[in-house]
Amino acid sequence: MTSGFRAALAAVLLATTGTLPALAQDTLVIGAPLPVTGALSPEGTKLKQGYELWQEQVNAAGGVKVGDKKLKVDLRYYDYQSQTPKAIQLAEKLITDDKVDFLFSPFGSGATKATSAVAEKHGVPMIASSASSVEVFDQGYKNLFGVYTDNSTFSEPIAELVKTKLPNAKRVAILARNDLYPLSLANEFEKSAKKRGLDVVFFEKYAIGTLDHASALTQLRAANPDWVVVTGYINDLITIRKQAADLKVGGDVFTLINGPAYQEWISAVGPLAENVTTASWFHPVVKYESEDVFGSSGKFVELFKEKYGSAPDFTQASGAAVGVVLQQAIERAGSTDHDKVRAELQKGGFKTFFGPISFAESGIANSYVPPVMQIQDGKVDVVLPADIATSEFRTGLKN
Amino acid sequence: MRPRLTARPHEGKRSMLWLQVLVNGLAVGGLYACIAVGFSIVWGVLNIINILHGSLIVLGGYLAFFAHQYWGISPFLFAPFAGAILFVLGVGLQALVINHVMTRPFLITLLLTFGLNLFLDNSMLAMFSADYRKVLLDPPLGVFELGSIVVPADRIYATLIGLTLVGLLSLLLRFTQLGRAIIAVRMDRDAAALLGINVRWTYALAFGLGVFMAGSAGALLSAIFPISPVASAGYLSKAFVICVLGGLGSIPGAVIGGFALGVIESFGALFLGPEHALTLAFILLVVLLAVRPSGLLGKRGFA
Repeated sequence: MTSGFRAALAAVLLATTGTLPALAQDTLVIGAPLPVTGALSPEGTKLKQGYELWQEQVNAAGGVKVGDKKLKVDLRYYDYQSQTPKAIQLAEKLITDDKVDFLFSPFGSGATKATSAVAEKHGVPMIASSASSVEVFDQGYKNLFGVYTDNSTFSEPIAELVKTKLPNAKRVAILARNDLYPLSLANEFEKSAKKRGLDVVFFEKYAIGTLDHASALTQLRAANPDWVVVTGYINDLITIRKQAADLKVGGDVFTLINGPAYQEWISAVGPLAENVTTASWFHPVVKYESEDVFGSSGKFVELFKEKYGSAPDFTQASGAAVGVVLQQAIERAGSTDHDKVRAELQKGGFKTFFGPISFAESGIANSYVPPVMQIQDGKVDVVLPADIATSEFRTGLKN
Repeated sequence: MRPRLTARPHEGKRSMLWLQVLVNGLAVGGLYACIAVGFSIVWGVLNIINILHGSLIVLGGYLAFFAHQYWGISPFLFAPFAGAILFVLGVGLQALVINHVMTRPFLITLLLTFGLNLFLDNSMLAMFSADYRKVLLDPPLGVFELGSIVVPADRIYATLIGLTLVGLLSLLLRFTQLGRAIIAVRMDRDAAALLGINVRWTYALAFGLGVFMAGSAGALLSAIFPISPVASAGYLSKAFVICVLGGLGSIPGAVIGGFALGVIESFGALFLGPEHALTLAFILLVVLLAVRPSGLLGKRGFA
């Protein structure tokens, strides 16, 4: 009995250990902690769509080319329930238990910063889909690479636009979600505004999960701004846009980030979306030729529409972008060795559908200009940069 | 430190600002009251902290959203119907699921409703996705203006309809056979049973009434706040605070607690900055728990 059992156990052990190296050789395992449930589940779902479109395309083409082999992509997801501490635990688990080769970051600056410490500790390169705050990249880590450009690449062009199109505008009001990315972005707007001689007459923060912004907006209105900037996520910005209209908050330019670039935002606020300015790192109108599995921005948009039935927004696109960047780095390195791939990532020069991607020493992308957009006649138009603009910038608001 | 308001409004403007802040607080307070009443009834009568309450509000919101989208029914008119649909669901849920643990310790019922909350939230995520939606009234209701003071019309309507439903509910509890049975069961379950009251059925109906209020509140809120399964926890936490502020098991307490929280948050945002709006409310909550644990209008013995 016992010896029979032992023999069986030994056989099982042998079988498992025997298959492990074989598995590791034909697949590329990438770990991705995702907020599938909880407050960030809309964003989590979007990222996953991007990852999976990339995975499907790569695997259909045979896999990621490593030397003379092709490795199929195996994505390991875990739900961190929109709770950053859980994302950290899961990153640890992905590295130590699942033995993933590389990591994709969780959503947003806060969770990315937190998990980057785990990736750094284990020396596993992590590509960040959705972190743009300098505070994430100022830790001197060598394993963190983000495909978004930093927040000042939003505030600078919009402030310039306000300055040139509305020379009489003087007063700026800023309302920020009290959270890493939105606050960092708000600080950049404050800097960009002050740099151009504008007065920041109101700067307040609102707590995460605030339902009623009437009090903050009442004070904002009393400050009588020409330019209103509100930062936060889609839910905050639906609520705030509506409540600002309810309280007849005026202003010539309304800048809301991040939300208006999403179709759901436009549907949820209806006519109040009109003339709201925003910016994002990707928009389906951009036209880049690429050396990735998609071939061009246009082809990516087309494939995305085919699979999901709607045009990709920047979060969905960033999910696929981290994939193509990692793939190109591995293929250039000709190896899945962490040091070699990291060296290729640091070298940069990736031509992707998302834009040309290279990283600054800190690991943040610094190689493309994100489009500035405005909602006009119910749809998103690009107003900057001029070479891809689809419309002229408009001032005024509909309340 | 940044200046909070560099251009300090002069005195006249300042008092207008205060008045506007007060009006804002009352306008949101009415909505808070609607959120909390159902939660209070269930807590007071069944001694159950219904963690499911927030999800049921969201479900009411979805019903109103789809009714508006497919049949063009205004969520304000639809509110009692959303409540009625959820009433049936609530009675069924209590009779078939929750009733089995009614006599068990408090923690068991808490755990059960917590589980049901996870189940309902995730079912809604699967069915409706997490996308934020909102009922868009066309034409929009606009605002009421009194000089420079503005109040959004949708909040006024929602508050009025909500309070009307709350008033009808109070009348029902006070003047009907069912209402007396509910109060009798709340006071002494065994004595009520001896008097021939069907305790099981009474519990189910009382739970149903609480859920009715959740559904109506959700429908009323659907035109004001975005609807998403992930919003449920926010509503639940508000309901919780309001019930403790106002007093458990007291309908007028929940109404007063709602208005109180609205006004406190509103002034908290003005004095401490919007990021600390809730801080003031929670400080008051802690103080109240220390000096008057039964809440503003609560009766001893129902906690």
